[in-house]
Amino acid sequence: MAILATEELTKQFPRVTALRQLTVTAGTGVTGLVGANGAGKSTLIKILLGLLPPTSGRAQVLDMDVGTHGAQIRRVVGYMPEHDCLPPDVSATEFVVHMAQMSGLPRTAARERAADTLRHVGLHEERYRPIGGYSTGMRQRVKLAQALVHDPQLVFLDEPTNGLDPQGRDDMLALIRRIGSEFGISVLVTSHLLGELERVCDHVIVIDGGTLLRSSAISEFTQATQALAVEVEEGLEPLAARLSQVGESVAVQGRLLTVEVRSDETYDAVRDAVCDLDLNLIRLEQRHGRIEDVFRV
Amino acid sequence: MTAVIHDIGYRRYDGPRLGRFPAALALARHSLRGAYGLGRPAKSKILPFLIAAIMMLPAVVSIAVMALLKQEAISYPAYMVTMEAVIAIFLATQSPYMVAPDLRFRVLPLYLSRPVGIVDYVGAKLAALATALFVLLAVPLTILFIGELLIDLPGPPHTHDYLAALVGGVVLSVLLASIGLALASFTPRRGLGVASVIAFYLFTSAVSAVFVGVLQSVGKSEAAAWAWLANPFFLVDAVQVWLFGTNPIGDGYPPGPWALVIVLVVTALAVLGLLARYRKAATA
Repeated sequence: MAILATEELTKQFPRVTALRQLTVTAGTGVTGLVGANGAGKSTLIKILLGLLPPTSGRAQVLDMDVGTHGAQIRRVVGYMPEHDCLPPDVSATEFVVHMAQMSGLPRTAARERAADTLRHVGLHEERYRPIGGYSTGMRQRVKLAQALVHDPQLVFLDEPTNGLDPQGRDDMLALIRRIGSEFGISVLVTSHLLGELERVCDHVIVIDGGTLLRSSAISEFTQATQALAVEVEEGLEPLAARLSQVGESVAVQGRLLTVEVRSDETYDAVRDAVCDLDLNLIRLEQRHGRIEDVFRV
Repeated sequence: MTAVIHDIGYRRYDGPRLGRFPAALALARHSLRGAYGLGRPAKSKILPFLIAAIMMLPAVVSIAVMALLKQEAISYPAYMVTMEAVIAIFLATQSPYMVAPDLRFRVLPLYLSRPVGIVDYVGAKLAALATALFVLLAVPLTILFIGELLIDLPGPPHTHDYLAALVGGVVLSVLLASIGLALASFTPRRGLGVASVIAFYLFTSAVSAVFVGVLQSVGKSEAAAWAWLANPFFLVDAVQVWLFGTNPIGDGYPPGPWALVIVLVVTALAVLGLLARYRKAATA
């Protein structure tokens, strides 16, 4: 099932064109939406939420049209904005309970869900203190909790790792992965950092200047440039020569030998060559192509 | 014995999902509580409750006068005009609270990404502030009426005046709430919101008083009657006079339903302004 689909979607602001005939679909699981600042990521999310009317084209979320079914979409979708959106003088618990009620949950259910959700995002005793005293990491967790509290089918997370330190970034990414797998909630997550999304996404959409650069499963991104890194104690040159002889494409990078993986036989070829030449193998590892590579073409 | 904490994992919610109206009602209730500082830090409670206490003073004094002198001290329809400055201060301090934080801390997108729409949001905030204002006025009026019934003045009780004042209170609350919110919603800064609402009140009451004074001194009492209506409190008093034939506080108002027409037009304009303001904020 497609969680979202756009068709020739265009959004024109008085001064800029934010989206230009964007046609893209995404399935269940975690979908990354990658692009530089101003690429049109936030505009796309606002259109998908039905908050911004598109200039032309169509968009569907969970098989509902954003133009005609905005209210129904917003009942089953969660949204974590990029910007700060928390009042400082209430506690996280009060705030998330209130937001659950705004999603239509009865008061007692709202309380239960808020407690559950705050625990899942990793806010414990501090949830009773006013939000004004929270760190950036805690604020991001509260923002995430309010997006999840009504148990949506799909969440839009706009730059959730913004402003976090490396540890906080890792925690947030792990949480996003859990939302997609363990919680069973589909995720559309945006970032301008390509590298961090490939760790958590099943599918990546890359947009630039409002147009689609690429949309494909994460496996395709990495498969395309899959390679093996081989390190041996001595005898890198003979190994390279031997592998070229049997038809593998190799490149020497300092003390490492990079072998392009064409099929499973490549692994056998490397093993046989190392054995035949009687070399001491130190390292043999997968080298994933990075999402950045789509920009290097 | 060992205690084990089981991680029960993520639980789905399959309970009821209420629609827009219950959500808007919850927002109105939340905002109404907030107008009196309930569910907010202790210092937010001081001003609304102080104002509510001041609003009680004429009722208490009046009951004492009735008990001792056996005569009416303050008429019900006159209550709101007598206390106009106090009501205006409540309006000025509480209307920015209703709208400014959501704009300033950018909470609004969180509401709008839910079933709650702009109309629901604005409607809930208006209902909350109007109810808060009405409670501010209706509680002392009701206590005064209970006092009058208990003291049992000679002659029939002023039930008609009491009910007229309550209806006037509803009209005043809706009018002031829509003006107050419309003014306050134009700035995310609370202090500026307070200042603009107070400035509006001072301006209208000063303009009204000056024109009434000048027009009366040159003998144009008919025009002076219209000048009273520039002050929202006298405007609503004029509505009470037209609807219920109560005694006017000013020296008489223009005959006919004009006061009510003005109230409706001003309220409609303020609400339209509010909706336009939020439509713009929603897409920002």
